[in-house]
Amino acid sequence: MPRRRLIAVAALTLTATLGLSACGGDDEPTTTPASPQGSAPTQSGEQSPDPGSGSEVEQSGTRIELTRTGDVFDPSGARVKVKRGEAVTLVIVSDTAGSLHVHSTPEQDVEYRQGTSTHEVVIDRPGVVEVESHDPDLVVLQLEVR
Amino acid sequence: MDGTVLAHGLGGAKDLPIPVDMAVAGAVAALVISFSVLALAWRTPRYDASRGGLPLTVPPAATALSWVLRALGMAFFLYVAMAAVLGEDTLVNPVFGSFYVLLWVGIVPASLLFGPFFKAVSPARTLAMLVAKLTGAPADRGLLPYPERLGYWPAALTLFAFVWMELVFPHATQLGPVRLWFALYLGTMLIGSAVYGTTFLARADPFEVYSTLVGRLSVWGRRDGRLVVRSPLANLDATPVRPGLVAVVGVLLGSTAYDSFRESPTWLRVVQSLGIERAWPDTAALVVFTAGVTLVFAAATVATGVSDHQARRHLPDLFAHSVVPIIVGYMVAHYVNFFVEFGQRTLIDLSDPLTTGADYLGTGDWQINYWLSMHPTVLASTKVLAIVTGHVLGVVAAHDRAMKLLPRKHQLVGQLPLLFVMVGFTAGGLYLLFAS
Repeated sequence: MPRRRLIAVAALTLTATLGLSACGGDDEPTTTPASPQGSAPTQSGEQSPDPGSGSEVEQSGTRIELTRTGDVFDPSGARVKVKRGEAVTLVIVSDTAGSLHVHSTPEQDVEYRQGTSTHEVVIDRPGVVEVESHDPDLVVLQLEVR
Repeated sequence: MDGTVLAHGLGGAKDLPIPVDMAVAGAVAALVISFSVLALAWRTPRYDASRGGLPLTVPPAATALSWVLRALGMAFFLYVAMAAVLGEDTLVNPVFGSFYVLLWVGIVPASLLFGPFFKAVSPARTLAMLVAKLTGAPADRGLLPYPERLGYWPAALTLFAFVWMELVFPHATQLGPVRLWFALYLGTMLIGSAVYGTTFLARADPFEVYSTLVGRLSVWGRRDGRLVVRSPLANLDATPVRPGLVAVVGVLLGSTAYDSFRESPTWLRVVQSLGIERAWPDTAALVVFTAGVTLVFAAATVATGVSDHQARRHLPDLFAHSVVPIIVGYMVAHYVNFFVEFGQRTLIDLSDPLTTGADYLGTGDWQINYWLSMHPTVLASTKVLAIVTGHVLGVVAAHDRAMKLLPRKHQLVGQLPLLFVMVGFTAGGLYLLFAS
């Protein structure tokens, strides 16, 4: 029987340790998917410096800046949190015309031109929606829709 | 919907990550329950394939029914094959949904409910049986006896070929590659069964091996050739042990974990910064995940004291059945929403296989129900519950096997490495669901 008790004690100790270490270890990554700090997409929610020009609905939405230089996208695969049913404004600065596919259900296409263009997409169901470029085949954004 | 071919997997939006508190709660629950099982559960083996279970009388009509099932399986296969040959190469072609969703993911619920489901409807098996009937040879034996030392290794290989096609190959949702894959599969199965009889299918057909393995968690079993109803854990314990079983479960579990991993922002950034075709690092990662799970599990099973008459190298395959509930838990967690929503989409698309505006099945005007997507908390709880349940059943199955195999003085301590690895798989799975 002492062996059995030993194992029970070991079990409890281990449980406590893993419980604690799991909490400690998992704290950090929660921030990872949130938003790519320091890289291009800016979540300019409330600080949108544009009080004069009309629509208040769009002000609460997310604004994401994308740059395409040749075949290189910035950001490249970043995760951005957005609210469902709200307009996501994509500001695309590109040196060539092209298109992005928003893999929501149903899919949405964003055709952009050379130079700077602004586009809006609305996603009305929770989930992770990839925004992809085809040619080159790259995931540009992952929109975490809640 | 727009009819263009996209180099993108099936389905639109993917599931949200599970909340961190649920992931931690799940991992802690798995750990606590595991050690409780170890400390408190029975000390003599409880499951015995040679007894137990309620025998059922099989009515004579069953033979007819089995041929009806074969005919239905064949009809479905031919219907989808028609769409694969004559249909349009777009994502609304039901071939992709039938192959990756109804067949591959559907194997899990169908086998949990009905036992070795795919074996009963498999077109490869039906064709092999018809050929055997024509030539007058007994179906289960071909020209040569199946080399038993090969065991399930061929299935580990064909399963890897499937998951590579599904998860890595960039053109997985184009008709040409899918047709080619299926033709190679069917060709291999028919040649193999001509040489080794239908035994070959039970060892090498990825869908049949997978389905029969998951079917071990159903209530339907066989004892001395008789149909019995018994507890899924007793049924699981009766899984035949053959070489390569550990590799089969390693490929199944590792590939599902890889499926979460490949969509994580971290991996995405790595593969997209390499500047080479994504398939290369993805292939490497799939190999690392599948081989890694196999090797880590194998190492944990042999890290115990054994009695003189027990060869240590047999232990990985002897314990491999205990991974099956963990696989099922993972599969449910990863694919439940995909299966429900893309499954509906496939049923709708199946009604118009050639994109001619037809509505052969009357399902063409169905609307997809997105209830599960709209309730992310319900979805996340389902996932955590599935993973923890699978984990608990796996631990119980491994514990019972340890009671049977390990000498008395190693029965408890000898289980520890395996228990740690199982907790690691479960915590890792939860972490991937949270981080992807």
